[in-house]
Amino acid sequence: MARNRKNDSLRLKPALTAVVLCAFFVALGIGFVWYKEQIDLLGRQIKDRETTLTKVQRENKIRGDQLATLCSPVALDARVKKLNLGLGPPAFSQVIRLVDMPEVAPSHDQRQAQAAVSERNN
Amino acid sequence: MTAATQYRKLYWLALLLWGALFALGGRLVDLQVVQHERLQQLAEENTVRKIQREPVRGQILDSHHIPLATSLPAKVICADPTLIGTWRQPVAHLLAPLLGMDEAQIAERLVPRLHEEDGKTNVSKYVVLKRKVGLDTWEKIQESMASLHAGVRETRLSKQDQAFFRNLRSKAVFAEEDQVRVYPCQRLAAHVLGYVANDGDQSGLSGIERSFNTSLSGIAGWRKTEMDKRQRELVAYRDQDVAPRDGLNVVLTLDAGLQDIVESELAAGMEKHRPNSISCIMVRPKTGEILAMATLPNYDPNHPGASAMDALRNRVVSDIAEPGSTFKIVVVTAGLNEHAVTLNDIFDCEHGHFAFAGRVLHDHEPYGLLTVENIITKSSNIGAAKIGIRLGQDELYQYIHNFGFGERTGIPLPDEAAGLVHPVKDWTKVSIAQIPMGQGIAVTPLQMVMAMCAIANNGVLMRPMLVSHLEDSDGKIVAQYQPEAVRHVASPAAIHDIVTALKTVPTKEGTAVAAHLDHYTVAGKTGTAQEVEHGQYVQKFFTSFIGFFPADNPEICISVVMDDPKDGHYGGLLAAPIFHAIAERSANYLNLKPDIDTEPVPSQTLTRNN
Repeated sequence: MARNRKNDSLRLKPALTAVVLCAFFVALGIGFVWYKEQIDLLGRQIKDRETTLTKVQRENKIRGDQLATLCSPVALDARVKKLNLGLGPPAFSQVIRLVDMPEVAPSHDQRQAQAAVSERNN
Repeated sequence: MTAATQYRKLYWLALLLWGALFALGGRLVDLQVVQHERLQQLAEENTVRKIQREPVRGQILDSHHIPLATSLPAKVICADPTLIGTWRQPVAHLLAPLLGMDEAQIAERLVPRLHEEDGKTNVSKYVVLKRKVGLDTWEKIQESMASLHAGVRETRLSKQDQAFFRNLRSKAVFAEEDQVRVYPCQRLAAHVLGYVANDGDQSGLSGIERSFNTSLSGIAGWRKTEMDKRQRELVAYRDQDVAPRDGLNVVLTLDAGLQDIVESELAAGMEKHRPNSISCIMVRPKTGEILAMATLPNYDPNHPGASAMDALRNRVVSDIAEPGSTFKIVVVTAGLNEHAVTLNDIFDCEHGHFAFAGRVLHDHEPYGLLTVENIITKSSNIGAAKIGIRLGQDELYQYIHNFGFGERTGIPLPDEAAGLVHPVKDWTKVSIAQIPMGQGIAVTPLQMVMAMCAIANNGVLMRPMLVSHLEDSDGKIVAQYQPEAVRHVASPAAIHDIVTALKTVPTKEGTAVAAHLDHYTVAGKTGTAQEVEHGQYVQKFFTSFIGFFPADNPEICISVVMDDPKDGHYGGLLAAPIFHAIAERSANYLNLKPDIDTEPVPSQTLTRNN
């Protein structure tokens, strides 16, 4: 009986080992496929984002060019004429020029007079 | 069954298995070793793609970064005739209005053609229908192609026919990346910008597009990658990925606002005087920066083929003609600089008829005694001729050369002419009298305005500067161009004297009262030169005015040149008013400080005093 039990346990061990090995290889295979699937998924996401980025950059450039063109004096002038706004650069007679005078330091007498006034106030 | 029979069966089975194993092994060796090279190449042809990554052509910008030339993404519309088959006519009918092409022309292109490659005859699967097609048009084409149907329920068709219609809708017409060159301001500065070839390379054919083609083009990149069965990129298998380097932006010294002012005034002058052509150059004398350069008739660089060949030429740099009286500035400056004359020296102008070396020289009005200053004021040919004679041939030739005539200015534009200045040994006896009044030599309008700029710039001849800098697409400056002095042509004292004389031209006593400005002192010179055709003078004239202001601290030098105006020929009457209009508007645009005191209204002058 004891001999038979020993034989049974001997048969179970290789079977268990085989099952574990099989499970390990299956897990390895599934893991590998999952990993490849993830790489592929990420690749597609990268491609999608690249496409979006290119599209957005392209639109940004088009809008930038449009803005610069619309802001150009040529376009503004044409628009003013089209809308008959009557706008234009000011004539020389309409220009006011500011004369920037240098600040003159107060004379010695003025400083004494100011000091006297401030003393009286105190 | 006996054991022997069982063993025999087992033996045969083992033999069969071993045989199969050997056969498989043999095939494996055949595929992996013997046919390795060929099969690897086939596999790579199926999956590996080397994709060219085209750079975006750089922009051409004005000095305020307004785009004058830019590139927009577009598509090359292509077709696979093998997938279209007998549906050529319906597809052509569908595409013709979208592509703006003739239906028959498209149908003809869709006919499958045979071509030989590596000794094999193949049916061509690639035909270009149109380049430079906008993205919106491509979207419409996709929508239209997707709407094609067999006319019957397709599920009733054979699988082969179903596949045909599926391919016809999705794959028969496809697009490749392209770009289209756009000039948003259309005709503005067309001759400066130039245009590009309507092909995949977009190589510049004229103007800045041609001179700076290498910088504008950029460098192509590439990507080596793999595709799946549906021709989608497998990003994980990217092997090489080199990004393209976009072309550099060329930033000009031109100001689009000033260019617009110049072109609108030239158009008004063109309409009024009906010349063959009219040109203007505006230069900042201190640096040689060209602020505006225009020639009419011009063209739209978006469609250069729609204009006459004559309109494509930049006459400012490529046309040469006798300069006429504007050239007197050279001989008088030379005379003053060499102390051959002073402003107050008096010359007898022979009452309009001066016989010299067997020829009779004329003035447009009879003058008697004139000072050197008055010779400039009145533009006396005889007076200028006598100054030239006093100066001498060698000295005069030297100054002509020093002012930059007879050689290219070095402006970065193609097809610049050097002009025509004969060496002294080839001069005739009358040359010394003719050349001072602007005959017997030929110059470009650009050379003439740069000579005037040398006077405005205290005697320093500058090289014309059209490009300020090159920058990358992020605005980082890659190359900066600096103003370049070519040489000193005269002393400050001589320049002071010639400017004093030139200031008298836009006055009531001078030849160009119309060039007078209310708020700025103008110094300038008129020019009227008879045109030469087949070696003979004809009754056609080049009419010009070149002036700068404020005369004592010049900010702008403007040249206006007309070729054969139909209602007169004097520069003071025709070109000077155009100069006046351009100068007044430009001064206002640039907010230049007036140098003439006008009566101020008290309330208009504010003083800030802390």
